[in-house]
Amino acid sequence: MDTEKRLNELNERLRYVRDIFGARENENITLLATKLGDFQARERTLSEPERIRALAALEDLFAFLEKKLEAELTPMDKVRIVRHPQRICLKDILENVYDNYTEIGGRDEHSIDPAMLIARAYITRRKGKKVYNQPVMVIGQEKGHGQEFRNGGSVKPWGNAKALHYMKVAEIENIPIHTYVFTPGSYPVEDWPGAAQQIARNLYEMAALKVPVVSVFSEGGSGGAEAIGLADTRLMLSHGYYSVISPEGAAAIESGIRQGQRAPAELIETCARRLCITADDNLKNGYVDRIIQEPALGARVDDYGFFKQLRQEIIRATDEVVLSVKGIKLFRAMALRRRQRRGAPIDAEAIYVRWDLNTAARERLLSRRYAKFMRLSRHAFLDKRPAVKKACSACHDLGWSLYSFFRYDLWRKHHRRIAHAMAEMGAEVDVVKERVSRPWRRIFEKLGGGAAVPEANVERLTQLSAWEADGDAAEGDTAWRYVSPRAAEDRAVTCPNSEESGCLDLWAPDLFGDFAGVCSYCGHHFPMEYQWYLFNVFDERSVFEFNAEVESGNPLDYSGFDAKLEKAKQKLGRKSACMTFEAKVKGVKVVVAMLMAPFRGGSVGAAEGEKFIRAADRARKKHFPFLAYVHGTAGIRIQEGVNGVIQMPRCTMAVRRYIEAGGLYLVVYDTNSYAGPVASFLGCSPYQFAVRSANIGFAGPGVIKETTGLDIPPDYHRAYSALSRGHIQGIWDRRDIRNNLYQSLLTMGGRNLYYR
Amino acid sequence: MLDVTKLLEEIKASPYQEMEITAPQTGEVTFGGLAVGDKVVGPSGEFREKPGTTVATLTRERNPRPIRATQKGTVMEIFSDLEGTFVETGTPLVRIRHYLSKDEVQSAILRKALHLFRAPERAKYYFTPEVDTKIRAGGLESVHVREGMEILIMSRMKREAPLHYAGPDGVIYAVYFSPSQNVDAGAPLIGVCPPDQVALIQDVVVRVQTEWSEQD
Amino acid sequence: MQEHKVLVANRGEIAMRIVQACRKLGLDFVCVYTHEDRHSGHVALARSLGGERAACRVSSYHDANELMAVADHAGATAVHPGYGFFAEDFRFARRATNRDRKLIFIGPSWRVIRELGDKINTKRLARSLGVPTVPGSDKPIYDELEAEDIAASLFAFQAEQGIKRPMVLVKASAGGGGMGIEEVLDPDMFRAVYRRVRNYSRRQFHDEGVLIEQRIEDFNHLEVQVVSDRSGKNPVHFGTRNCTVQSTGRQKRIEVAPGFAPSEIAYTFDAQKVLDDIIGHSLTLARKVGYDSVGTWEWIVTRQGEPYLMEVNTRIQVENGVSAAISRIRGKNGVDIIAEQIRTGLGEPLGYTQEDVTFEGVGIEYRIIAEAPEDRFAPWVGRIDEFRWRDEPWLALHTQIPTDVAYDIPTEYDPNLALAIIWGKDLSEAKARGRGFLDGLTLKGENRQGGMRSNIAFLGDRTERLLVF
Repeated sequence: MDTEKRLNELNERLRYVRDIFGARENENITLLATKLGDFQARERTLSEPERIRALAALEDLFAFLEKKLEAELTPMDKVRIVRHPQRICLKDILENVYDNYTEIGGRDEHSIDPAMLIARAYITRRKGKKVYNQPVMVIGQEKGHGQEFRNGGSVKPWGNAKALHYMKVAEIENIPIHTYVFTPGSYPVEDWPGAAQQIARNLYEMAALKVPVVSVFSEGGSGGAEAIGLADTRLMLSHGYYSVISPEGAAAIESGIRQGQRAPAELIETCARRLCITADDNLKNGYVDRIIQEPALGARVDDYGFFKQLRQEIIRATDEVVLSVKGIKLFRAMALRRRQRRGAPIDAEAIYVRWDLNTAARERLLSRRYAKFMRLSRHAFLDKRPAVKKACSACHDLGWSLYSFFRYDLWRKHHRRIAHAMAEMGAEVDVVKERVSRPWRRIFEKLGGGAAVPEANVERLTQLSAWEADGDAAEGDTAWRYVSPRAAEDRAVTCPNSEESGCLDLWAPDLFGDFAGVCSYCGHHFPMEYQWYLFNVFDERSVFEFNAEVESGNPLDYSGFDAKLEKAKQKLGRKSACMTFEAKVKGVKVVVAMLMAPFRGGSVGAAEGEKFIRAADRARKKHFPFLAYVHGTAGIRIQEGVNGVIQMPRCTMAVRRYIEAGGLYLVVYDTNSYAGPVASFLGCSPYQFAVRSANIGFAGPGVIKETTGLDIPPDYHRAYSALSRGHIQGIWDRRDIRNNLYQSLLTMGGRNLYYR
Repeated sequence: MLDVTKLLEEIKASPYQEMEITAPQTGEVTFGGLAVGDKVVGPSGEFREKPGTTVATLTRERNPRPIRATQKGTVMEIFSDLEGTFVETGTPLVRIRHYLSKDEVQSAILRKALHLFRAPERAKYYFTPEVDTKIRAGGLESVHVREGMEILIMSRMKREAPLHYAGPDGVIYAVYFSPSQNVDAGAPLIGVCPPDQVALIQDVVVRVQTEWSEQD
Repeated sequence: MQEHKVLVANRGEIAMRIVQACRKLGLDFVCVYTHEDRHSGHVALARSLGGERAACRVSSYHDANELMAVADHAGATAVHPGYGFFAEDFRFARRATNRDRKLIFIGPSWRVIRELGDKINTKRLARSLGVPTVPGSDKPIYDELEAEDIAASLFAFQAEQGIKRPMVLVKASAGGGGMGIEEVLDPDMFRAVYRRVRNYSRRQFHDEGVLIEQRIEDFNHLEVQVVSDRSGKNPVHFGTRNCTVQSTGRQKRIEVAPGFAPSEIAYTFDAQKVLDDIIGHSLTLARKVGYDSVGTWEWIVTRQGEPYLMEVNTRIQVENGVSAAISRIRGKNGVDIIAEQIRTGLGEPLGYTQEDVTFEGVGIEYRIIAEAPEDRFAPWVGRIDEFRWRDEPWLALHTQIPTDVAYDIPTEYDPNLALAIIWGKDLSEAKARGRGFLDGLTLKGENRQGGMRSNIAFLGDRTERLLVF
């Protein structure tokens, strides 16, 4: 009887191995298959002891060859491991790692989103006779061993919103959060709260969550992973992957295939390798802090030893985070470190650390988290400035910090007090003056007859007045300083809405010149070049670029990418897709970070992220408003892998820091803005506006069709849809951007903007 | 009483509709690879987002504009002597034979069954705002019309006048005008179904759905 | 000049007059028409004078692309926009001038059209030259206090002039076509109205600028006809017109040249001086902008005899013929202002100066329209069966209605049927001839509602008090 069960298990293991290795032929697998087949063929002929012996030998062989196969695993195999139904999932972890738990909000399919699982759990620690139950909030995606309603761990926007809700609960309760990342990516629908916008909200809140957060990555699919992955310590399972995009997705882009077709298997393998998605890659790049070793070919449901180890690691990680910010910690921290150095199997439970934090510790926690993320991905961009120059610019920064302290914090406070006093005084004087002059005025009125219109008034009604028209009205043929080169063509252009709206063809010089790319019949906005905004939105000659030297690189040595990057740099004469500059809008100084669509689709990599962060810092130091003008962005630059993804939390943290310092962070979307950037540092702004030409969303129509099977209407991502859904706060006509921007500067934003 | 069977037989005897695609504007015409006998389709897709087959291209002011089929059908004739020449607006370009669809057959028969409210004068017509909102929200059938009800607005010579319904009470079943096009005096504007005709009309719908099979 | 070919980018009566002018000058031409206009007289005239290919069917008169395409196809070298449609569209003029296959735009250069098309700009230009304009602001006002201040002065100013019902007009400076304009009678109401207009303007035009002007109620509408060649240096005038007889929608119905008749009618002000003044002012402004075509300076004259420049129409006008009727060049009759516009537009110098232009008699132009004046001038649509009049040496009649077959009035365009220009040696003779003409006119037609409606009775009625103010 027992043999049958064991035989079944072996069959199961063989099937698993085959699943993992995909279509690949491997002699070890063949060997296993033949041996198992042989045994099954002659099983009946064997005597009971022989059978037991042969079975034991077979099991040994399996164990041996599985170890051997482990060494041959490719990155794509690991992708298959984490996607396998037998892969451990969050429920297993709750059962086996924690001592007790209650699932919050939902049971199986009866849940707002079965792909997101929240539980209150505790870990019991014994110290002598004392028993401590240490509560934690466990949040993670649940794949449910292939249960269909779990959607493979692809979380809908409202699932992420639920996760955020309970993070805030944990913050109030002052208990640590353990997040488990088991997601191939977020479910890309725009229904409220919106895939991208909700992830952005999560990131923004997690950036300053005042409790320890430890995350464990098994399957870290881009934006979906970031929604719960911004943590003080990030652990990664050895057979997991953490990537900017699925290898299939990357291969589809690489080969340029159309919707519905499949990329060749070898290309997918190649992409998986190029994207540097394994635990080792991510540890090397610094994006995870530690790897938790899994058994050969990955942890499965019944690997109890693994759960024990995971428990140890998660307790230790939480202890470390807490101790690093606690006041009294010295010896315990040392003990932890020493054990770690020895490399000995540590028993984290041997040391007891309380996991709640006091106010001071919470502040320290946040600044550590900020510093940690700011250190990341610094190797992944190029800055070819000589060291002296870099030092100079650092000094310059420091100078600004000091200056702004004196100017805005010290001087301004006192200055204001004096000004108020002066105003009061003036009002007093007016009253006195009025009293004194009243009798005299009465006499004058009687003498002069009063009612006659003074000559000066008639003059004003009938003669030329002085008028300086905004200074913008250019002398040339159009009102715009920059005119698109498309305006030079003598041809007619058809508006895409001509069918429905009856728009007549427009003459290109009118359309791209006078009309600023706006159809004069239906108001359709044709996309314009980023230069149009640069020269027509900001005051003349007020644009001053900084950090232009920060340059996009190829940190993963993604093959073939160097040439593409070089081409983009040549074509545009820019070193990255992000231009950061100071400028003025009707005299108000602003710091602007602009993402430019023509440079690799405006995609964001390490250089773009770094420039964005530095711009936010500059705005904070100078007390200027900060504008993110998104001419266009296709998302995170996939060729940079996690170096790109990590910009999502990084930039969001920088933005949060700026906003909390009292600044005004405005986002203006223009052409197409999708994916990672929208799902983080753009989507988190409380003031997001779109030019009418904008399409805003998480994933494009092709990807939505692919991942959800849904046909989406053609206007799904249009600015008006985004406005209706509540994702953006307003839509601007391109010709009014300047006025609207100025109006926004006057009416929105925090307390530390100097010009108010 | 309406003899649906007979009407259906009549339509079945000549199930095609010939359509002439004319130049909607001036320009230089090219027919691409279009050949007589080619199948063409109208706009398709769940949101009609996929455009119909391009039957010709008119280039005007260096702007090539595709002329697309609006219905499914077969190309019967191409005025290919025009290839590469400048054509005036309204010049016939292509003739297409279209096999009537279920909806078209249905509306052809319904046109005989419904009470037709006709245009008093040549003008442009559109629904009053109240009626329009009702239709948008609940579809055509949600509008119940009564004698004397202000239902349409007649627009011509830059002036607008309300138009009152005359005829039996009922619900709107069909609309025969489009707001941007002139309607000749006497042409039907809407088709109204009086309550006592509901059964008959449902019969028409069922009969057409079951007895008419669409062809390419 | 004879090698030029003119695209007639208009319809109806004006298209016919342009075709006739081209013929007179020996120029080739090509016309356009729409499906609805296929029976219009201008199509028949074009075909009879220029052959089958002289009229090309287009989808719309409003589509510049159609016009350009037809021009290129027909080998046209110039385009005449007539009035309406593209006549005052500087972008159309610019496109014609700047495109690869250049067309001469028969009208002012596009910069002039743009400059004078902006009413604020025109007003400021006028004031800079000392040309009187309607009292009020000449720039958009953005400040509420300033706005109230101006309004208060305007009320006081009118009170001082003895105006019984002082009124102030508040209008969105970015608006046009009557949108965003409100009247204020009560100074206390000003702030509320101002804010309403400002908010409307912000919503509609994304601009808060507001103009504040005196609202003049009791006035005569006068015009000065200016003609200049491409040099723009020596504009001449072809006299004044009075266009005060209008429909309720402020559409002109009768025009009289000259603008006043001081020799036959007594005015409370020096009418001759007013006419001289507005002519002088108009020419000053024309010289200043280098006006290089035919144009009309529109004025309003108050009961006190104060003229204010309203706007400049940078196009040929419907009523150009009535000025031509009283003008003589070097004593010669038969002035054709459209022909002058085409001739100078194509580059010929004017060839005469103001001294060579003299005036004789009085002209009256009637616009005969299918409409019901008693019903707020509601247009009438239907079929015209009979349209006849008696030819006279003192009468010029322009119509696109065929006189030999029945004609359906197209609903797409204004129901203007004909222009009748009558000349007399003085006002009373012109008036008498006008009444005679109207009485002898036969105009019959019908539609489903019944018989034809026209404004003939209205025109006859108004003839009596022409030029009386």
